[in-house]
Amino acid sequence: MIRCMRLVPALVRFSTARVMAYRAEMVIWILSASLPLVMLALWNAVAAEGPIAGMGQGEMARYFAATLLVNQLTGVWIVWQLNYEIRTGLLSTQLLRPVHPLWHNAVWMMTALPIRALVMLPILGALLAWRPDLWVRPDPLMLPVFALSVAMAWALAFLVQATFAILSFWLDQSIGLFGVWYSGWALLSGYVAPLALFPDWAQRPLRFSPFRAMLGLPVELLGGFVSPREVGLDLAVQAGWVLGALVLVRVLWRRGLRHYGAYGA
Amino acid sequence: MSVQVRDLTKVYQVPVKQPGLLSTLRSVFHREYREVRAVDRVSFNVEPGERVGFLGPNGAGKTTTLKMLSGLLHPTSGEVRIEGRRPQDRSVDFLKSITLVMGQKQQLIWDLPASDSFELNRALFDIPRQVYRERLDELTALLGLDEFTDQPVRNLSLGQRMRCELAAALLHRPGTLFLDEPTIGLDVEVQAQVRQFIDAYNRNTGATVLLTSHDMEDVAHIAERILLIDHGVVRFDGSLGELQRRFGPGRLLTVKVGRTTEAQEHLLTGVLGMSAGAAASWSKTVAPDEVNAVLTRLLQDLPSAEVSVGEPPLREVLTRAFGEARERREEGA
Repeated sequence: MIRCMRLVPALVRFSTARVMAYRAEMVIWILSASLPLVMLALWNAVAAEGPIAGMGQGEMARYFAATLLVNQLTGVWIVWQLNYEIRTGLLSTQLLRPVHPLWHNAVWMMTALPIRALVMLPILGALLAWRPDLWVRPDPLMLPVFALSVAMAWALAFLVQATFAILSFWLDQSIGLFGVWYSGWALLSGYVAPLALFPDWAQRPLRFSPFRAMLGLPVELLGGFVSPREVGLDLAVQAGWVLGALVLVRVLWRRGLRHYGAYGA
Repeated sequence: MSVQVRDLTKVYQVPVKQPGLLSTLRSVFHREYREVRAVDRVSFNVEPGERVGFLGPNGAGKTTTLKMLSGLLHPTSGEVRIEGRRPQDRSVDFLKSITLVMGQKQQLIWDLPASDSFELNRALFDIPRQVYRERLDELTALLGLDEFTDQPVRNLSLGQRMRCELAAALLHRPGTLFLDEPTIGLDVEVQAQVRQFIDAYNRNTGATVLLTSHDMEDVAHIAERILLIDHGVVRFDGSLGELQRRFGPGRLLTVKVGRTTEAQEHLLTGVLGMSAGAAASWSKTVAPDEVNAVLTRLLQDLPSAEVSVGEPPLREVLTRAFGEARERREEGA
């Protein structure tokens, strides 16, 4: 662990060069993830006839602006990267270096975050100009809570994608499985609709689901939709998912490496 | 002992499917696998500083063996120790002590200059800056890198890229080199440069070198000991000279004659069955017990000819060795 942390500056320098080399591709990727804007337009029209589950047009705008930002801040692509490396044998070159390939990739994907945030600024600026009431001054105490939650959401997104990618050691179609997971995530994480709009019976399981921990919770924290009384439990649940996913990734990785090789390693 | 290998075995489970729609549908519910024994109870030791060539036909198990030795693949059974360490543990100390250069795979990032990958390796392998600078200068001079390490790797020629790969792989000065087809696809000049470089690296650092190659020039220049592998089994372990004596079809007789008469040409090609080569020379591989008779005849009828006796081309020796191994395998089956 100490060694991993010691290598961070060098990995950041290298990853920054890599991110800059692929900047145009990355900007296209970022702009292509604009579904929250579409959903905003849709729900804004629906809420014009009156608030739904306590959310009017202003709340909808705030929710989806937060979704747009959090979705970018938790964006990773390890499932495609690692799946490709395992299937083609390119993982071999990473395995020969004295640094864990997942750690190397994690730093690379974290290094892309400032660019992602930078691309979002003009879009968020335009949203603010359209709806000045979108600008809320969150409780200063909630900002570090939001930062912690978004960091855990990023970690969980990375670990979940890594889990599916590691399945490539055994399966040809792990990306297909991830597609199934992604469909569930899009529906149940709050990406296409705020979780508050779901029926009452679904609220409790959704609150404790990994999907909310990956997106919905930090969005709700940034938008001011979580009461301070609930924050502690929500963060604990989120931390639990991160820890569980970390253990799963470690176990699968060790077992997967024993299978590595059948794909032209 | 630098490398110790005992009963090393690797068995792959390979999915199999018969052609046709019915078979495709059946494979959805019941997938069949076949066991492929890529390496079968291979044992050998390598002393520090030795240069060993793994030779064998395609699919013989050479690359699988190298990958197990470098920790990429886990053996199905058997033991490997590289300088006392188990490769599959992939400890930091182990990874710092070895390198694997794969002619068909690259470790440099395609869209970045090679210098970025060098700098990354400096940090990952904990090389002090001053030492890194000295080593990079040395590698730059030996491999002639100074003109292109600042260009994106995608813009380099194959030869330039391979030289950068070698530099990146050796910056941490590993004590054991695994080279898998290091000169594949390179032009003759760069191939020679790479061979000379590996030779110099071995002499200067005392590193152990294990090489696989289908290029006989690589083998002749780099390897002093040969391990012949066929179907995952070691068929021969000895020096290059021993290999040539054991499997060689005989001695290579070369005759150089300034100007020949029609009768002399008839003797060389018609009677002795020699093939004409470049610069008025003829050659033939002659069975050991026939060498004296042919030499006598040549000296009688062509007293002014320059005759030399040498080893046959390594390619010819290996073709016979592989053929013999195949026959033995078929007999065993």
